[in-house]
Amino acid sequence: MNFDFGFAIVAAVIVVSALFVVRAANLIHAVLWLGVTLLGTAALYAQLNAPFLAGVQVLTYVGGVVTLMIFGVMVTRRHDGIDVVAQTEGADRGFIFASALFVVLALVTWKSAPHVPNPAPVASSADIARALLGEYLIGFEVLSLLLLAAIVGAVVLVRRRDPEPAGEPSPAAAAVSEVNP
Amino acid sequence: MNEFLQGGLYGGGIIVAIMSSLLFVLWTERKMAARMQSRIGPTFTDPLGFLQAPADVLKLLQKEDIIPEKADRALFNNAPLLGATVAIAGAAVVPFSATIVGADLEVGVLYLLAVGALGVLPVFAAGWGSNNKFALLGAMRAIAQSVSYEVPLVLAALVPVILAGSMKLSDIVAYQSSHHWLVVWPFFLGIPAFGLFMLAMLAESNRIPFDIPEAESELVAGITTEYTGMKFGLFYMAEYLHTVIASAVASALFLGGYDGPIAPGLWWMVLKTGLLVVAIYWLRWSLLRFRSDQLMALCWRWLVPSGVVLVVGAAVWVVFAG
Repeated sequence: MNFDFGFAIVAAVIVVSALFVVRAANLIHAVLWLGVTLLGTAALYAQLNAPFLAGVQVLTYVGGVVTLMIFGVMVTRRHDGIDVVAQTEGADRGFIFASALFVVLALVTWKSAPHVPNPAPVASSADIARALLGEYLIGFEVLSLLLLAAIVGAVVLVRRRDPEPAGEPSPAAAAVSEVNP
Repeated sequence: MNEFLQGGLYGGGIIVAIMSSLLFVLWTERKMAARMQSRIGPTFTDPLGFLQAPADVLKLLQKEDIIPEKADRALFNNAPLLGATVAIAGAAVVPFSATIVGADLEVGVLYLLAVGALGVLPVFAAGWGSNNKFALLGAMRAIAQSVSYEVPLVLAALVPVILAGSMKLSDIVAYQSSHHWLVVWPFFLGIPAFGLFMLAMLAESNRIPFDIPEAESELVAGITTEYTGMKFGLFYMAEYLHTVIASAVASALFLGGYDGPIAPGLWWMVLKTGLLVVAIYWLRWSLLRFRSDQLMALCWRWLVPSGVVLVVGAAVWVVFAG
């Protein structure tokens, strides 16, 4: 049996950074470590002949989700004047549950391993596009509808209740045009 | 040869070549800016001022390395390194000629966009790690700007992808050399998409006229406020690297890359990239800075809708005329 060094390195990076995510006392550090974990996952996809998935993983998770979480942590860092810190309670119980989950997942992986072709089949991004816009078109469109609904919902939530009268320039713009017409 | 060794040598060669080109880019910008402002620019190091940039590097290396007492040291120290790494990572997939390309990925355009999205992290690490109001304000502006302008950037990059039917940069260049450069035909799609791409690329890298994150009249120097010596130098270098690589990508996507009327090859790519870099600096020294809200309005009210129209237009063109 040959040992895959590339996989070992990537897997070690993912596991260690994931541990840092849950153990970091500083929420900002936790979010940035999560970025490392997600990058490691992308590297895993790239190793498994899925470059498209790897690219999308970096673009949406590291570029999008982590950035959003950073904003979320930034605006909620102080609550009623008290700094918010990450506290881990019941780490022993968590360890037991995590170990149990690991055993279950390891069993499932071990039982189903022979059915996975090795090496993984190479799917070009054209194949993925055909599958998404052909066989799975309805699911794809329903998902985009869901995302659209989420965007509209977000806009409704943050909309200002008393909108400025349209057409009038803001005070700052008026001041600028007075000085420099 | 061992493939790791080969990859290292090849990648190292490309990195060294781009880094060396920065010296020339810096010199060109200095002299150009000087002429535009009726000055003559640097002359003290040698009559042409060409040694000014190496002299600056020597100066930066000698500066005291100051780390603020309450800074988040891990983030503060690693942010410049990360920034420079992410900036140069894009060069990996750019086809400089038919044979000089680091990794001709099947998902090259996607890779470029993903690397661009990564650029947010070092900016945030620097701004937050400095523990300085101005740095943090600059970082927040930079992130808001990068996230917003990523949308028109993706839409503009989709136009050549749709027209050439591939995300591989060498395929896009090959399509342009067998058909027409995208800015020539179909020009009504190519020229607007090219303009949109350049604008969004400039805004994503926080360059003038989109450099509000380091607006020196309001924010001291934005994220670089607390940085001294070569750490500041790395941020400065990352900015120039980004400009050069963005220009190279734009020439590959829209201007036919290494294709040219006579003797296609590396020198066409260098010429096109150089012209685009000069155009960017021309803009930089001519225009004033936008205000933050103007920038967002420009992005969401004008650039995103026109990007959507361009993508739909490209799809229609491929189906009915391509």
